Amino acid sequence: MSLFRSEEHVRRWTARHDYDVGAMLDLTRVWRLANAWYGDPRASDWRPRTRDESQAVLASVGLTGEFWELPR
Amino acid sequence: MADIDPVALRVFVYNELLDRGMPPRITEIAVHFRVAPNEARRALAELRIGKTILVHPQSGEVWMAGPFSATETPYRVTLGHRQWWANCAWDMFGIATIARAMVRVDTHCTDCGDPMNLVCDPDVPPNDRGVVHFLVPARRWYENIGFT
Repeated sequence: MSLFRSEEHVRRWTARHDYDVGAMLDLTRVWRLANAWYGDPRASDWRPRTRDESQAVLASVGLTGEFWELPR
Repeated sequence: MADIDPVALRVFVYNELLDRGMPPRITEIAVHFRVAPNEARRALAELRIGKTILVHPQSGEVWMAGPFSATETPYRVTLGHRQWWANCAWDMFGIATIARAMVRVDTHCTDCGDPMNLVCDPDVPPNDRGVVHFLVPARRWYENIGFT
């Protein structure tokens, strides 16, 4: 997941490398995602999320659809 | 000798990361838990917390403890005198979340190379401009975590 100055920069870079465009998120959405995704691994009761729990986190910030579907 | 409790090991790895900016080495883990280095290496290898803590395939040292990288990346994160490397643009926000503090990120545009300096605060939405690109769909994120 890489940072770019703008969507134009993403499209230029993906074209140059012959990659699919993929998905682009603004910084606020990624900020919300990180806050929802990361608990504190120093907490004794921390545990890895299940696949379905991770999928729910993505959905909680509006990331739904085929691109955001985690492997089963 | 007693086995290392995996919860205690995980907590130690992250406490060292947050306090010193680097994960503990196998020898440091061995000293801390008073075990032989081989036992520390085995305990790390068996930690395998989902995709959170990964060890280097050759050295066996901590390679990644999400959202932190043990090696240099384009995302340098600073909090006071401490510095870390985030695995990616998503993880630079993750470091702020786990550190529970506002951090500074020094990086650059992946396309043009222009410097990008951001502030990541877990309590305040970002005010900086930029776009995070997800090249790989979620179903393939863990096929090659380094590329992703």
